[in-house]
Formats: sequence, C-alpha cells, structure tokens
Amino acid sequence: MLVEKSKRLGPMIFWLIAIAVTAIACAALLYAGRGRMVNVSAAETADANSQFRLVLAGIDADLAAGKIGAEEAVGAKGELAREMLRAKAEAAPQSTREMGRSTLFVGLGLVAALALGLYAFLGSPNLPAQPLAGRADVAAQTMDLGSAIARIEERLTTDPNDLRGWTVLAPALLEVGRFAEAANAYGRIIDLSEPTAQLLTDRAEALLLAADGAGSEEAMGLLRTAADMDPNHVQSRLYLGAELTRMGQYEDAIRFWREALDLAQGNEPWLTAARQGLAVAENDGFDTSAQDQAEMIRGMVGSLSTRLYADGGTVEEWSQLVRSYIVLGDLPNAQTAYDGAVAAYPAAFDRGELDSMALAAGLKLNGAEQ
Amino acid sequence: MAAGDCDAVSIELGHFALILACAIAAVSALGGLLFWRNGQRLAQVLAQASILQFVLVAVAFLAVVQAFVTSDFSLKLAVDNSHSLKPLIFKISGVWGNHEGSLLLWILILVLFGALVAAFGRRLPADLLNLVLGAQSLLVAAFGGFTLFTSNPFARMSPPPLEGTDLNPILQDIGLAIHPPLLYAGYVGFSICFSFAMAALISGRIDQAWARWVRPWTMLSWIFLTLGIAMGSYWAYYELGWGGWWFWDPVENASFMPWLAGTALLHSALVMEKRNALKIWTIFLSIITFSLSLLGTFLVRSGILTSVHTFASDPTRGLVILTMLAVLIGGAFLLFATRASTLRQGGLFAPISREGALILNNLFLATAVGAILVGTLYPLLLDALAGTTISVGAPFFNLTFGALMAPLLLVLPFGPLLPWKRADLVAAGQRLVGAAGLAIFLTILVSALGGISISLAPLGLLLGFWVTFGAFAELIERGRIGRIPVGESVRRLVGLPRTIWSTALGHMGLGLTVLGIVSVTAWETELVTTLNPGETTELSGYTLAFDSFEQIPGPNYMADTGHFTVTAPGGGTKQLAAERRTYVASGMPTTEAAIETYGLSQFYLQLGEPLDDTHVVRIWYKPYILLIWIGALVMAGAGVLSLTDRRLRVGAPQRAAKPAMEPAE
Repeated sequence: MLVEKSKRLGPMIFWLIAIAVTAIACAALLYAGRGRMVNVSAAETADANSQFRLVLAGIDADLAAGKIGAEEAVGAKGELAREMLRAKAEAAPQSTREMGRSTLFVGLGLVAALALGLYAFLGSPNLPAQPLAGRADVAAQTMDLGSAIARIEERLTTDPNDLRGWTVLAPALLEVGRFAEAANAYGRIIDLSEPTAQLLTDRAEALLLAADGAGSEEAMGLLRTAADMDPNHVQSRLYLGAELTRMGQYEDAIRFWREALDLAQGNEPWLTAARQGLAVAENDGFDTSAQDQAEMIRGMVGSLSTRLYADGGTVEEWSQLVRSYIVLGDLPNAQTAYDGAVAAYPAAFDRGELDSMALAAGLKLNGAEQ
Repeated sequence: MAAGDCDAVSIELGHFALILACAIAAVSALGGLLFWRNGQRLAQVLAQASILQFVLVAVAFLAVVQAFVTSDFSLKLAVDNSHSLKPLIFKISGVWGNHEGSLLLWILILVLFGALVAAFGRRLPADLLNLVLGAQSLLVAAFGGFTLFTSNPFARMSPPPLEGTDLNPILQDIGLAIHPPLLYAGYVGFSICFSFAMAALISGRIDQAWARWVRPWTMLSWIFLTLGIAMGSYWAYYELGWGGWWFWDPVENASFMPWLAGTALLHSALVMEKRNALKIWTIFLSIITFSLSLLGTFLVRSGILTSVHTFASDPTRGLVILTMLAVLIGGAFLLFATRASTLRQGGLFAPISREGALILNNLFLATAVGAILVGTLYPLLLDALAGTTISVGAPFFNLTFGALMAPLLLVLPFGPLLPWKRADLVAAGQRLVGAAGLAIFLTILVSALGGISISLAPLGLLLGFWVTFGAFAELIERGRIGRIPVGESVRRLVGLPRTIWSTALGHMGLGLTVLGIVSVTAWETELVTTLNPGETTELSGYTLAFDSFEQIPGPNYMADTGHFTVTAPGGGTKQLAAERRTYVASGMPTTEAAIETYGLSQFYLQLGEPLDDTHVVRIWYKPYILLIWIGALVMAGAGVLSLTDRRLRVGAPQRAAKPAMEPAE
C-alpha cells in the first residue's frame, strides 16, 4: 500500500525535494554573501601585521625555551623584518568594490536554473529505487538461479567431467551475464561430448558476448566450423553474416546472409534483420535503411502515386501514399494525394483512419468544405 | 513516511545532488576567475560554495554506495559491477572499481580538498582565495560535466534485471579495494597546488605566504601517493605470484611520474617558503605534477592509448577526455608561458648553496620524469597512430632511470648541510666524512660476504648506505653529538624543529629503499625445479621439503595445495602452503604464493602448473626485500612528521585584509 503510494507520488515528491535542496543551497550561499558563514566561521579581520606578531612571539618562545640560540633568534627576527617590509611594499591597493547583491542573485539564479534544467534533461525522476530485498516478486527466482549455479559449480569442482552439470550450467551462466565463464562451460560440453553445430555456435555466441562488441577470432573460427558442419544450420550463418558485416568483409557476409535467407521458412522473427543486414553488406557497409531511407521512400512513392492516379487502388494504398508524403514533409503533394483519395472514396466512412491522419498533419478536409 | 520516500528516490536524489554540485561549481568557477578582485564577500560565498559542493557530492557518492549495498539493479552501474552474492566489502569497493564510479570518487576527493581549503583558508588574502577556489571549481565543473554527459554513474535501467553481472572472485581482493582511493587522494591532492599555481599566474603575485600554503597540500598528496604506490607494489608482489615488485608497466609509471614531479615540487616549495626563490620552478612543477596525475588517471587507466579498440568502441568519451586534458593542461601552460616572466624575482643565491642543490635535485627529477614519460607514451602512441607494436621494457627504464638517480643520490646528503644563499662545499664534505667512511666500509664488507654477482651492485650499495647514513649528518651536527655531554645532545635533538627530523628521516627512507632494491636485484636467488611429495631441495642455505600434495575443492574452485616445510640455515622450521586454484566456471588458474619472512628477507614459493606426475615449484630467496617498502613507509612517516611542524600550524600571513563591510540593517 505504502509502496504503491510512494511510487505514484514519486516524481512529484522528488521534484519537491530537489527544489527544496536547491533552495537550501542557495540560501546558504546568500547567507554567506551577507557576511556570515554557516559552516565556516567568518574571516578574521586581523590587521596586516598579526601574522608577523605571531611568528615573532614564536621566535621569542623558542629563544626562552632554549630551542634556538640568541644569534639564531636575532637572525630570524631580521629575516622576519625584511619579509614584513617586502609584504608592505607589495601590498597592492585592494579593490574597494565589493560584490554587489544583484551579482549574487544572478549567480544563484544561474545555479538553480542550471541544476534543475540539467536534471530535467539527464534524470529519471519517475524511477524509484528498487533494492533487491524489496523486489519480492522477482527476487526468489533470481536467488534460485544464483544458488543453483553455485550448487552446480560446487559439484563440478569435485567432478569436472559431469556432462549434465555443464549442460545445465552453461545456459544459466549466459542468462546471468557471466559470458566468459559460459563460453568456458560450452567448451567443456564440447570436450565431453560430440561437437555439434549448435554447441559450437553457442560457445561462439558466449565468446562474442564476452568480447562486448569487439569481436573474437576464436568465435569466428567456431562459427565457420559450425556452418561447414551443418549446411542447414541457420544461427551460425546469421552470426557470421552480422560479424563479417561489422568487420567490413562484405563478400563473405553476403554469402552467409543469402544462405541464411535461403534456409528461411518465411515467418521467422529474424527475417527483417537478415534482409537489412544483406542490404547493408551489398552496399559495402552503407546502411541504406537509415542513410538513404528518404530516397527509397521517394522512389516508392513515385511509382505508387503513378499507379493510383492512373488505375485507382484500395483505400489502404491511398492512405499509405498520404502517409509517405507526410513522412517526407511534402505537404502539398500529401494534400494532392489526399484530394485524390477523397475523390476516389467520397464517403467518409470508407476512408476510415485516413481522415484523422490527414487532419493531424494539418491537411484540409476537402470533403467537409464541399 | 518521509524517510521511506527519501529511500525510494535515493538514487535520483544522489543524481540531483551531483548535478547541483556541478552547477554550483560552474558558477563558482565563473565568479571566482572573473571577479576575483571583488574581495571578501565573494571569498565567503566561494568558500561556502566549496563546502556545499563537498556535501552534495558526498550525498551522490553515498547514494551509489547504498544502491550497491542493497543490490539495486535499477542502477546500471550496479548491474555491471555488482552481484547480490558479493561480500559487503566488495559490494562497496565495486563502486570505484570501474570507469564511472572511479570518476565519481575522483570528484569526491577533488571537492573534499576544495572544502578543506575553504575551511582552513580563512587567513588567505581574499583575492588569492577567490582565484584558488575558482580554479578548483573549474576542475570540478569540467570533470563533473564529463562524468554526467559521457560516463554517468546514475544511468538507470527499467525494468531492472534480476541479477548483477560481476562476480569475479579473482578481483575480490582487499588490496584492490584500498589501493585506488589512496592513489586518487594523492593524484587529486595535487589539484590544490595546480589551483594555487593558476591563482599566482593570474594575479601575478606569488610570495612566501603562497608557498607556506602550497607546501602542506603538496606534502599531504605526496604522502598519499607514496603510500598508494608502495601498497600497489606490495600487492603486485604477493598477489601476482611472480615475486616481482615493480614492472615499469604504464599504469605503474603513471603513478610514479607524479610522485617524482611531486617530490621535486615539495623541495621547490621549501625553497620558496624559506628564501622566496625558485618561484618559476615551483609554479612549473605544480602544473606538471597535476598534469601527470591527470594523464595517469585518464589517459593510461582508461585504456584509450593502450587499446585502439577501446577508443573505437566509444570515440566520444575518448575524444572528450583528450580535448579536456588538452584544454586544461594546454591552457595552464599557455598561462605559464605568458605570465611567468612577470613574477618578481626572489632571493638571490650562489650556485653552491642549498638553493643550488635543490635546483640540481629538480633537474634530475624532471629529467627522470621526462625519460619515463617517453618510455611510457611512445610505444602507446606508436601503436595508436601507426599500428606498430614496440615494447619499451624494464632494461630501458632501469638504465635511464638508474643513470639519472645515481648522481642525484651521490649529491643528496650534501643538500641539507649546505647553508642558504652561499655555501662551502668543503665544509659540508667534512661533516660527511664519517658517513662516507661508514658507507665504504659496509659496502666492502657486504660485497665480500655476499659476493659480487653483478658489477654495479657495490656502487648501488655504496649509494644506499651513503644516503642512509648521510641523512643523519645534520642531526649529528645540530645535536653536537660527541662534542658535548650526551644528555645535552639529546635535549638539543629533541628540541630541533620537526622539519629537520623529517628531512633526515625522509632521506633515510629513500636510502633504505635503495638498499632493498640493490640487495634484491643483486643477491636474489631463484630456483625452478620439479618436485614430488617427499623430496627436498635447497636454495641459499634454506632446505625445502615437499611434505604432501592434496586437492581441496573450494566453493567454486579446485585448489591444488602443496604443503612444504622450510628449514632455515639457523635450524628453525616453518610450515608453508602454496595453492594453485582453478576456477571451475571460467577455467582460469590463479596462484596463491606462500611467503615466509625471515627478518627483512623473504622466502617466496609458488606452486607451478602440474606436469604428468610431478609438480613444478618455483622458489625465490629475496634478501632484505622488505627494506623497499619499509623505506617507503619511513618516507611517508617523515612527511607526516613535517605536517605536524609548528611552522605549518601557524598559517599564512594575511595582508592588508579589510574588515568586511556589513550593510547597515
């Protein structure tokens, strides 16, 4: 109940605290600027020679205590006198202009604006802290995985050839992000059993994750072996395609992307990514999907509009055309296309979502004018 | 209720505190550096601002610590660098065992030193305080901004993952937990000297009061750095299992260079304080020392130069660091180049004088820094720019550094005996005759007993003994030992200023370290052999019996444990156990060396990789190796002694201070 409440109130309470903290800090600075210090006692208004008097007293004390001889004391006093004269000669005329109050207020305003503005940009005021102990829902599950790993590890220290133990351990290590150790565990499975394309790929995957985007020659070797071993193995080819594209070896990458796509049944979740990867490799690393998207849309839009104006089409096709022009920022053409669609489908009911999309983009609803 | 809400937003509150601290720092820097002439009131505001910065950054740091301790995986940093199963101490040390967290620690120490200046700097002239705190705030704003925009430790994860990813048992070591904060305290402490140097250059005023202020900060940082380096060296010695105590690797050099420059700065500031001379040297060394500290923390440690890949994977971060260092260091040197000539020349002195000796000291130390800098950066730069890998190894460093240090050590004992302004070398030499005789006698004795294994060993020994005994010459002179009754000598010695004791102890510590290095380098013995349980072998008169071998499973590793008995030449026996652990999940081996101490010498045993049915055993006998670290501890102790000297407690004179005008209310 309480947790729920604080979760809901989180951002508001947070901003209140943040503003209060800023206000306190500014108040402390303002207070200091008025000549008093909160934590530091005010600067002593000792006169210019107080320091020298202290040193002089120190010399006399040392002389009295017999720490220095009379001769040394005279020398030290002479030195002190010279230093005093030097200091006097050097003392530049101090500026009498004290910092004005308005300057201070400008500074404080700047501090508050900078802090609150930066936090609004960088912070996440709506995210509460979530200590593990408070996360009862997920904690049990995690602790189980953690302690299960520890238990298997303990068993494997005494029986390092326990294939089943390694088989359970490897994916668990991968799950908790201990990639290098997962790679080693897959290596042990491969040693203890027959290497299959899937096992080699699993080990390569762990190695690549452990390398954190920097690539791994060993992983590449394993993936090639896996792909050679099983001509129908998709995962190894996908990894090869992606890694080779990243490394700029586009010819090889194209081969593996194509092989993977040839093996596809047609409904795999990775199809889009693989097609895009292939396109990138075919363009020598030039990511057409991102860099040249506008150009592609333009080409597509051109042919679509030609067809629609000539032969007509479904309301969905008209909607797509309007949306494309809006995305391209080409509002006059969007309006023309919208007019075409309204002409083709005069009944508002038939146009469905098209009207609200057009309205939102600021196009004119000609149907309403008529 | 209120406490519960604070807990719920603690991470974001920490984030806000860091941002607010940076905002205050940015505005303080602007105010301090632009309006430093505006007197007392600005100084009070800046002092207050410095203390606020510290309080706020401390809150931010504690928020991260709390997130680590409570395993709050909605904080990305905790996910990457912690794990709920870690022991508490390593959860806490995990905070600074990574890039983002170590930056936060770095800033915390930076603002701590700024707050200390604000708290203890009440007697500083207002314009100097304005400039110093302004410069310090500039550093806070620069590094705080870098942290927030490129390496934010407060980055969040939503939804939070179930578990952190860092449970590397090999890195869970108490040495790794304490070593970085010590080093950082040393590195960052020199920022105060840097800020003081900037203040002197901008205002064009630098005097003895300035030096009196800079010296304790230099000393404090130098003590931390000395301890940090010594501790890192000992940690590498016992943990890495190879018995080496210094490797001249870039990270070690990165901490050693500021130490050498800081040592020179310490001596320069001394001359300035006493004689108002060597002003330009002091300013120059202040800038150099802090620049080297920055280089150490950000260039070498961040791996920008050591690995081209790191740079490529995150080019923004690397470029921002490089730009920032270039602006800060380049700007400081530009200021130095344009303003240094305007500083008024200080006290004059003859070439043969205490001042002259300290200039010689500065020259040798600065050249040594230059040599190490080239040796460290050249291969890294070559690799980064041309892709060519070359290795500048220990031989280069040993040769150049040794050749530079030998003459320095030779003239070192003369320094404290020379009077200021004009000195008589012969007179100083006469007082050192005893130390020289003793050093020569002991060198001949030790060489005769130990045998001459490398040709330069006697020279090294001679220098070590010479520095160690020479350090006492001034004490003997001041105490008139042997010339007046013992009781009076003791009274005189006790009454001596602590700085004289500190000088003697510091130089003696250096001599001890030199002796330890020479002894280990020249007379260390090593044996690599295969050994089976039941067999014995012998090294330097010590008999080693391999009693038994067993495999003990640990929680997540298998330990090959060898039990040994060492019999000293004198007859005493000791039981040793050396381990070689293989972590099951990673398959990585680590070695736990067995170290037995005999006096100042150590017997070091490492269990190597198992062969078919026998075991490789490496044994070292390291004579007087402990002197290396004892010497460093003595040096640090000497620094602490110097900090307690009355002279430093009096504080700097305050000149022409005007009473702050109170507006009538």
